[in-house]
Amino acid sequence: MSSTPVIDVERLNLSYGDFHAVKDLSFQVERGELYALLGTNGAGKTSTLEIIEGHRSATSGAVRVFGQSPRDRRAVRPRMGIMLQESGFSPDLTVKESVRLIGKLTQRADTVERVLGVVDLTRKAGTKVSQLSGGEKRRLDFATAVYGKPELVFLDEPTTGLDIQSRDDLWAAVDNLREDGSTIVLTTHYLEEAQQRADRIGLMHRGTFHREGTVSELTRTLPAVIRFGLPPSAPALPLHGKREHDGKFLIETFSLQKDLFTLLGWAHDNAVELGQLESGPTRLDDVFRAIGTE
Amino acid sequence: MLPIALSELIQIFRNRSVLITSFVMPVVVSAFFIYQHEVFATLGSLGYIAAVVLFTVCAFGLYASSVTTLASRRQNLFLKRLRSTAASDAGILTGLVLPVTVIALVQVAVIMTVFGVVPGMPGTIGLLVVAVLATVAMMLGLGLATAGFTNSPEHAQVTTLPVSLGVIAVASWVGIAGTEELTWLKRLLPGGSATELVVDAWNGGVSAGRSLLLLAPTLGWVVIAVVLASRFFRWEPRR
Repeated sequence: MSSTPVIDVERLNLSYGDFHAVKDLSFQVERGELYALLGTNGAGKTSTLEIIEGHRSATSGAVRVFGQSPRDRRAVRPRMGIMLQESGFSPDLTVKESVRLIGKLTQRADTVERVLGVVDLTRKAGTKVSQLSGGEKRRLDFATAVYGKPELVFLDEPTTGLDIQSRDDLWAAVDNLREDGSTIVLTTHYLEEAQQRADRIGLMHRGTFHREGTVSELTRTLPAVIRFGLPPSAPALPLHGKREHDGKFLIETFSLQKDLFTLLGWAHDNAVELGQLESGPTRLDDVFRAIGTE
Repeated sequence: MLPIALSELIQIFRNRSVLITSFVMPVVVSAFFIYQHEVFATLGSLGYIAAVVLFTVCAFGLYASSVTTLASRRQNLFLKRLRSTAASDAGILTGLVLPVTVIALVQVAVIMTVFGVVPGMPGTIGLLVVAVLATVAMMLGLGLATAGFTNSPEHAQVTTLPVSLGVIAVASWVGIAGTEELTWLKRLLPGGSATELVVDAWNGGVSAGRSLLLLAPTLGWVVIAVVLASRFFRWEPRR
């Protein structure tokens, strides 16, 4: 397997006048991985993606896609599929005509029938784009992005507006692409999708990365929590905790299993009922909230 | 380029309002001029009628249609989608305006042929072809430039008026009054020298060498339009 990253971003900067949308950003996306680019609103994700996709130029820094400048459309685009955040189809064309047009322009071999089957739009082939629902347009978006099974696929908010079945179908199609060796760059506001599917995640805030790594590496930076209610007559806790505004106790721990075992053992020994006990490992949401306050 | 052009052709024939206002109306107006050619010939000449017909088709069938098309494709992010593919910017723009350009050229050819049959053929057909092509290039360039600051198809109804009405007014002024007075002003206005070229070509009796010198101001407008287009043209709506 080649060690050359598919995407190589080095000290990327993008400024609009005095406003720095992207500051000194560096990261790589390896071949075959699913990389999620997440961030707070206005963090610079869209600007970063547009530079990598070749839609705009950076103020400074270097971006290479397949070892080439992403602005070299002829060299890079045949290997790349892009699912835009907003649908951009001509309303008077039919579904089939739209896929056929974009498919021809990708310079990749495939059939309209196959990609329409992937997104379950076969029976809508003759329908004008203006008559499609929002979810159907997103599926059409995805179809044009995966036409010809590109080596690199950008998915910008791919499941927005999709029902659960359509989401499952989309992710099944993404899994098939990955089995064929495609590299995926994902942006999404559905953190559970990133948590379940991403090999690595880059968390942007105010134009730069605040965290980058696997889900495990990211969530390891924050403690897990155990939350419960205690009767007023309960003896002293065996672990350090704090009372929250709603009266419940909160224990933060980097050893969830050990401390949960200790707490449950203490409750059993002292005949204490832990009301509304809840616990769980750190989630990506927690990491996300933490960077939003930094 | 060709797949884009084909999809544009499909959309033209599916959009009734574009068909009527941009393609049927100029032909109807031109037919009126030809029908009343004896009246208009007393105002100017047969060459004047040919020039007005040419600019009517180019202003409404070509210029206004191209501006409306580009603004519409930008507004619904279709331009952005096309730029997400391997197609080049030049290929995309050419594909988008190719159908309206070909339709305009066919319209002009048919109308000029009919006009030639009715009162008489033009004096110098070769020069007429050169004049038509130069005018088409100028109007296309102005269309690209105008599309740069046109936000939507509705906005195009306003932004296209100055050039559309302006070139027809200039064509009438030059066609009726000639260029003996205010010669260089008339020739430098957009459409002025092209009109004089068409008039010379149709009426005949003027040397080809002198007439070809009139190409320079028209081609100058093409250059100006391309410079303006590269300065103002946007591929995405303003955020």
